[in-house]
Amino acid sequence: MLALGKSASSAHKRYVLRTMAFMSGYVAVNVAAIFGAFDDIASPAAAWALALTVSAPVVGQIWATLALMRESDEFVRAVVAKQFILASGLAMAVASVWGFGESYADAPHIPAWIIYPLFWACFGLIAPFVKSSN
Amino acid sequence: MKNRLKLLRVERGWTQEQLGQALGVSRQAVNALETEKHDPSLDLAYRIAVLFARPVEEIFDNPHA
Repeated sequence: MLALGKSASSAHKRYVLRTMAFMSGYVAVNVAAIFGAFDDIASPAAAWALALTVSAPVVGQIWATLALMRESDEFVRAVVAKQFILASGLAMAVASVWGFGESYADAPHIPAWIIYPLFWACFGLIAPFVKSSN
Repeated sequence: MKNRLKLLRVERGWTQEQLGQALGVSRQAVNALETEKHDPSLDLAYRIAVLFARPVEEIFDNPHA
């Protein structure tokens, strides 16, 4: 979905630029966190502010995907919406199975933010098989 | 949905890209219509009909007829 061919629509070009911008922000905040920029944070309010800052680019990227649907023609909108719905369903199913695995089968804990990369992994898995709007 | 879109386009010597531009949709959308991977909305079907100056049912087979 991030490829920009010669025939890419303006909606797709905007999507790629928005995604690159949001992901650059995401990488920058995480690199800063890895190198200890936020190690001195002590108050719960500041900790939540950091959590919101890290997750803001993820929210932005989800918005970019929804904007791609809104700004595309009816065929692209229908196909991306179909892929989005199927990927969401698969990601929720996997997350639910794992969550109950944690509750009942001592599966190792996985943080909830994993749903975002999991969703895109599911999207990548599904997209090659969903090329029709019918 | 079965249609004569490719035939009409080729008759005029247009590429999928050119037809897409005339209709305000992507080349992928034109390809999907021609290969029956997308049923057009009523709005798009009428735009196609106007562009080729033909009734909708001369371009798209009515599956319920």
